[in-house]
Amino acid sequence: MSALLEVSGVSKSFGGVHALSDCGLEVGEGKIHGLIGPNGSGKTTLFNVITGYERIQQGEVRFNGMEITNAPPDRVFGLGVGRTFQLTRLFGRLSVLENMLVATQRKQGWLRGVLRRSGSVAETRRAMELLEFVGIATLAHEPASDLSYGQRKLLELASLLVADPDVLLLDEPAGGVNPTLIKHLAGRISELNASGKTFLIVEHNMEFVMNLCDQVTVLSQGTALVTGTPGVVRSNPAVLDAYLGGEDDEATQKRLAATGAGESTRPSGVSISSPIVKPAKRLGGPEPLLRIDGVVAGYGGGDILKQVSLDVPEGRITCIVGPNGAGKSTLLATVSGLLRLRRGEIRFGGQVISGLAPRQILARGIAHVPQAHSLFPDMTVRENVEMGAFTIDDRALVAQRLKAVEELYPIVRERAGEKAGSLSGGQQRLVEFARCMMLDPSLIVLDEPSMGLDPQTRRIVFEMVELMNSRGKTILLVEQNARAGLKLSSHGVVLENGIVRLAGSGREVLEHPEIGALYLGGAVASDATR
Amino acid sequence: MTGAKTQDLAAVAAKRGRRGLALRVLAAASVLVVVVVFALFPVAVTDPTATSIAVFTLVFMVATVAWNVFSGYSGYLALGHAVFFGCGGYAVALAARDWHFKGGWDVFGLLPFAGLVAAAVAIPVGVIALRTRRHTFVVVTIAIFFIFQLAAFNLSFTGGTSGIELPLAPFTAANYNQPFYYVALAILVMTVAMSWAVRRSRFGLQLLAIRDDEDRARGLGVKTTRVKLVAFVLSAFPVGMVGGLYFYFLGQIFPQFAFDPLFDISLALMAFLGGIGTLLGPLLGALVLESLQQYLTQTFSGTGTYLIAYGVLFLAVILLLPRGVVPTIGQYLAHRRARALDPGAAREPAVRHDVAGAVR
Repeated sequence: MSALLEVSGVSKSFGGVHALSDCGLEVGEGKIHGLIGPNGSGKTTLFNVITGYERIQQGEVRFNGMEITNAPPDRVFGLGVGRTFQLTRLFGRLSVLENMLVATQRKQGWLRGVLRRSGSVAETRRAMELLEFVGIATLAHEPASDLSYGQRKLLELASLLVADPDVLLLDEPAGGVNPTLIKHLAGRISELNASGKTFLIVEHNMEFVMNLCDQVTVLSQGTALVTGTPGVVRSNPAVLDAYLGGEDDEATQKRLAATGAGESTRPSGVSISSPIVKPAKRLGGPEPLLRIDGVVAGYGGGDILKQVSLDVPEGRITCIVGPNGAGKSTLLATVSGLLRLRRGEIRFGGQVISGLAPRQILARGIAHVPQAHSLFPDMTVRENVEMGAFTIDDRALVAQRLKAVEELYPIVRERAGEKAGSLSGGQQRLVEFARCMMLDPSLIVLDEPSMGLDPQTRRIVFEMVELMNSRGKTILLVEQNARAGLKLSSHGVVLENGIVRLAGSGREVLEHPEIGALYLGGAVASDATR
Repeated sequence: MTGAKTQDLAAVAAKRGRRGLALRVLAAASVLVVVVVFALFPVAVTDPTATSIAVFTLVFMVATVAWNVFSGYSGYLALGHAVFFGCGGYAVALAARDWHFKGGWDVFGLLPFAGLVAAAVAIPVGVIALRTRRHTFVVVTIAIFFIFQLAAFNLSFTGGTSGIELPLAPFTAANYNQPFYYVALAILVMTVAMSWAVRRSRFGLQLLAIRDDEDRARGLGVKTTRVKLVAFVLSAFPVGMVGGLYFYFLGQIFPQFAFDPLFDISLALMAFLGGIGTLLGPLLGALVLESLQQYLTQTFSGTGTYLIAYGVLFLAVILLLPRGVVPTIGQYLAHRRARALDPGAAREPAVRHDVAGAVR
């Protein structure tokens, strides 16, 4: 097997976060190669490196034996490597057909491009054929901005095909599209593959990846962990560890040794087709601090949350885990009011808060620390923390809070005058925590606080979460590192595909035998029963 | 796709085609009428005040259409095109003085040279400015403009603040404006033709792709730096030509008029008013704004009334037609056409076939 696309020793970091470290990958000619891994494991960064959108200081990218490290995107495309983007990117003000014609200049003299009219008969015919191939030919004359999300995905794929590239890099082709379309898309990819196209596909939908791909590489913390056939990959215990995390803890290691010794000891024949919801224990007495009741929400056409109910008891840490795309961040966005509910209700301290503006929800005492870096990078640490209290007019109160926060997070005083952007990833997290503590909220909502951090920093961040909790803050946490997150928490919730699959104490959830199957999208189970 | 569906498509396409042909004939007829009206204007109207307003208006129409070829299509807002206007003007002034032109039709022969000088200046300016994007690009073009203005004030060969006299054209006083008018009209026809050719070329499509998403355009093999630079240089050429014409018309050139920040802003305003990124919008915007401004200046000279009227008009357009006149009308027409083609489903086109249904 000759490698058509070859990545070796690639490292890339952003600020304090290592996105890729010594990453290597070989994509064989004529293969469909899957690239999976937890959030923040560097999949999209690797795409950006291959296609020239990110420059690297270390490592090498080769295509067809030719070195293309740090080649600009237009050259990479000209050589025959096309890519799509995670959030589809189209030329919104051009028509669908015009979108198709932008890419047609490959293998043509440039001057001819200047002089020639766009959309000759032959080109248009070819473009229409491809639109028909993906199934959106009827929309050829519509502005691309009028397309639905799924149609955009199809157009993006078709617009690459115009230039007849040898390799197609698809970033989450099945993300956010409905099952019918996913099936359709998989069929088109297989067909193209049969006609000789090579694919490298980043995807969170495990069924899609496992059914379609010849080879799968698992990326974890910027490094290629395992490469092999779908069967080999899903039975490798290291893969589950990559998704669940927790390699920095002795007890987990032990349990790992017990359950993860091999696929034979894993419970077989588990079907997750029926939800195994165990309703969260309604602790007797008063209503929990936060009650989420039958929430349905989503972006654009589809629902991401399909009826989610859970309770967050006061003074505790509740951790939500689940595979990528389960709806965890979406759920947090509904709590903080960034996303409107379609159905259901959210009550906080006994009062309905769903439907309020984010500002009003913040004023009631819910602070949200989002997943992406949310500090103002060019402002100092002190200014960033002060921004957390800009709604408070009482200067004395702000000064008092600042003092308390500095005590809790010494880094706020130590690095007060430095630009927030110059801090490491872990330090930035702490400043984010400090900022949200300025409002003295009663509920803190944390989205993946440990993402992109090394184990040691991660432990510090988790200690800080516990510290906030010990100061009386109720915490609702989404965590990719399921083992560490659940160990920390008194309550655990597993979300999958927009539905609560499991709820119970942190320990119960952590030790539930089916959690692995939930993470790998049922692949483990279906493999075992096959 | 089933055979029936394909036939369906073919029928819709044919319907579109027939309407397309009818529209094309209509468009060609309108263009002809407009050209005839413009060509006959100085014959019909002989008042020198009116014809000189017409010359100024044509100059701005050329410059706005040319500006739009770069800024409108690529989305890069350039606020330094006065550099090319001034360079064109100085090229003609210096060439006419040093090469001893008598004045008359011969000076018009220098206009292509003025365009070439402007285009040549645009190459280094573009290479520097196009290293940046969006807001930074705007600021850089303004900064480069001021460097040129400062140079024109201080270099010895420009004559500094005392300026340069251009040869006096030996046309009769009654018909003095006419030659300038027709030359400007010829340049306008050439510039509009260029804008039209760019718009329908593959090169133009690449510019529009850059406007919508430059990074993705690169990912589809568009050599964005080169495409932007070529458009920038193309856009400078006509501006240089009318710069030469304008100062020949005035008879003298001074730095503050050659490199006038108001010129930079006017082009953008005119294009926005008419509809940035369209073929006709900049033409219309410049026609209305420049003639109106000249008229108001002449009528209420000395007072600031014209500025107030100008401001009111501009606010009204921003409030009522934020995308500009031409795109708003175009959208209205497209709506009507869609309704005529497919009654009952005005804005929801023929979508629900095969996968498209599932895809929605």
